[in-house]
Amino acid sequence: MKQVDKKKGHNQLVRKELIAGYVFAAPFIIGFLGFTIIPMIISFYYSFTDFNLISEETFIGVKNYLRLFSDQRFLKSVRVTLIYVFSSVPLKLIFALAVAGLLTQQKRGVGLYRAVYYLPSLIGGSIAVSLVWRELFARRGLVNYLFESIGLDRISWFGDQRMAMIPLILISVWQFGSSMIIFAAGLKQIPVTYYEAARIDGANRFQVLHRITLPSISPIILYNTVMQTIAAFMSFTQAFVITGGGPNDATNFYSLYVYRQAFTYYDMGYASAMSWVMLLLIGAVTLIIFKTSKFWVFTESGD
Amino acid sequence: MMLKKVLAVVLVLVLSLSIMGCSNDAENTTDEVTSSTDNSSNEESTDTESSNETTNDEEEIVLRMAWWGSQKRHDITAEVIALYESQNPNVKIEYEFYDFDGYITNLNTLVAANDVWDLFQLGGNFPTYLDRILPLNDYIDQGIIDASNTTDAFLKTTQFEDMQLSLSSGVNTYGIAYDPEMFAQAGVPEPTNEWTWADYEAAAMKIHEELGIFGSSKIEDFIAGASMGISQEGFDYNFFAPSNVQLGFDDPSMLEDYLAMRKRLVDAGAYPDPGALSEITDIESDFLVTGEAPMTWVAANQLPTLAEAAGKELKIVPVPRKEANGPSGMTIQSSQMFCIAKGSEHPEEAAKFLNFFINDVEANKILAAERGIPIVSNVREALETDLTDVQKRMYDYVDLVGSFETGVINVISPPEQAEIQDYYELVLTQVIFDEKTPAEAAEEIFNFATDKFNQ
Repeated sequence: MKQVDKKKGHNQLVRKELIAGYVFAAPFIIGFLGFTIIPMIISFYYSFTDFNLISEETFIGVKNYLRLFSDQRFLKSVRVTLIYVFSSVPLKLIFALAVAGLLTQQKRGVGLYRAVYYLPSLIGGSIAVSLVWRELFARRGLVNYLFESIGLDRISWFGDQRMAMIPLILISVWQFGSSMIIFAAGLKQIPVTYYEAARIDGANRFQVLHRITLPSISPIILYNTVMQTIAAFMSFTQAFVITGGGPNDATNFYSLYVYRQAFTYYDMGYASAMSWVMLLLIGAVTLIIFKTSKFWVFTESGD
Repeated sequence: MMLKKVLAVVLVLVLSLSIMGCSNDAENTTDEVTSSTDNSSNEESTDTESSNETTNDEEEIVLRMAWWGSQKRHDITAEVIALYESQNPNVKIEYEFYDFDGYITNLNTLVAANDVWDLFQLGGNFPTYLDRILPLNDYIDQGIIDASNTTDAFLKTTQFEDMQLSLSSGVNTYGIAYDPEMFAQAGVPEPTNEWTWADYEAAAMKIHEELGIFGSSKIEDFIAGASMGISQEGFDYNFFAPSNVQLGFDDPSMLEDYLAMRKRLVDAGAYPDPGALSEITDIESDFLVTGEAPMTWVAANQLPTLAEAAGKELKIVPVPRKEANGPSGMTIQSSQMFCIAKGSEHPEEAAKFLNFFINDVEANKILAAERGIPIVSNVREALETDLTDVQKRMYDYVDLVGSFETGVINVISPPEQAEIQDYYELVLTQVIFDEKTPAEAAEEIFNFATDKFNQ
């Protein structure tokens, strides 16, 4: 009898905990369904229609997807997005790793510095910060002022299609905070004994970096690369605010062009199709990164 | 330990600041709504929840209203709303205002959700939203909206087929605003009412050489080079045919001259390059206002605002023509109108407000023709009794353009315009960057636009 009671009590406890679990997870589940999964399903349907927000949609098959291949603006937006991703992500990671290296040294006030360097990442995606950067690189902005003071010519950053991307890449590099924090955590995990052994063997700094530090944190490099690559593919605010995609579509990032098709040209069906192609594109790039990882990511199990 | 606490406080502060940043817009709007009703006698009754507290038996009615425009427009429109609310204590108007792009984005989202503001502002872009506009014919027949003090021609500016979509908030046209002092300084004769693009180019080049500034601020390339540019070719031509389902011309070379001229001006440094152009975001940053250019494109109704921002005596002339004695390509059009949304809960109350907005003399004295010249004759007469110099120039200018002999000029934008216009501007940039010749560019624009209508 006592035994049964105990079991019943145990079951009740489990059920209670289950309910509590679901209640606590509910905000995420509702948000995930309402703001991610359901819109995704709907957009998949719209990608086969000519939906334009205003009138009733009609089914047009894969026409939207075929249109992508002959759309020169689309092809160019893919090209500039790839250039942006493959130049901003490595720069950002190198910068983040370098700063993380400095900030894991045992010095006074390192914690404060870490917080300060993280700040740009907190506020970096906002409109206000983008506006500040636009002013920095304006015709009479601070950057041109510095250029002039050291005897260089002023540069029309946003008027030259070869230059317009550079400020956008710099903003992205400037927001290195979250990668830096993760790198810092990884660097602290490396046993000090490795470095001591290297020192005894007379390794120089480059050898230490190349043979010990990088292999030890290679899983973290992989993680950061994947996350930052995905984020870079989706970057929108900076281009939208600073360049508006110009000049001559030189900074017309993929997500900006999707936005434009959807909310300026009212071509929701086409924009939905572009979004799905973007998902495939990001998926493919991520897959390639993972596939190559077995050549450079060091794992202790050594599989 | 101390450090961590400090850090935590800093982070919380940063986070809450950024959250506030997000919600700021909405709060501002409501703040101003409340403050603007402070003066009215019905402060308590403006609360939507407390309809039983209203001083009279009438039901509390809330109308939602939105528009785009400059700060000046926001201020005067809010003032008129406060005036109406004080005269109609049972009506409360919740308003929102945006810049043009933000407005259109919000409007489209609300259209998709079938939840458009009761009163919403539209310009020549109305064909896109025809499904959502409640025609006013019934209200005019019932006398709720008084359309007797205006002309058929003015009513036609806001008609589609047999539907009276609204009454125009004001009529206007485009023009070139210029600073006569700068022209005098550079020794360049002031533009005339029949000036040509060649005159424009020569003036811009000369002023650039003499004064070392841009010869011209931003011109609306698509309207100048395409819409008007084609209509200037002859009375039978339009960029978009009046039916708005196809193009109204068949010779791409009609687009060439303007593209070529723009390239020459940018190459000479007499016109802002694309980077400098991107720094012009509103009237306040226009290069005429900042003193970096002697002339700029303007919608006639904005001339007083522009002059005020520049702090100068500005004059206005028509957009240059292709030939001095050729067609101007210009006409009077409805600058904008407030439409009532189909599906509005209080269409009749919205119609009453609209009638006030269009016909009330007091209200229009506050509005001061900022949305264009009033179409109601007694309102216009009342306003004309005390005009400032620059307002007088605006009235005279609109009358002048109204007297131009024209063919049928299509000023209504089909839904395809947004993408075609962007494409036009893109290809123009490619001409400036030497990637295409003006002839190739003209051909490409023509083909792109034709394709858009055949899709």
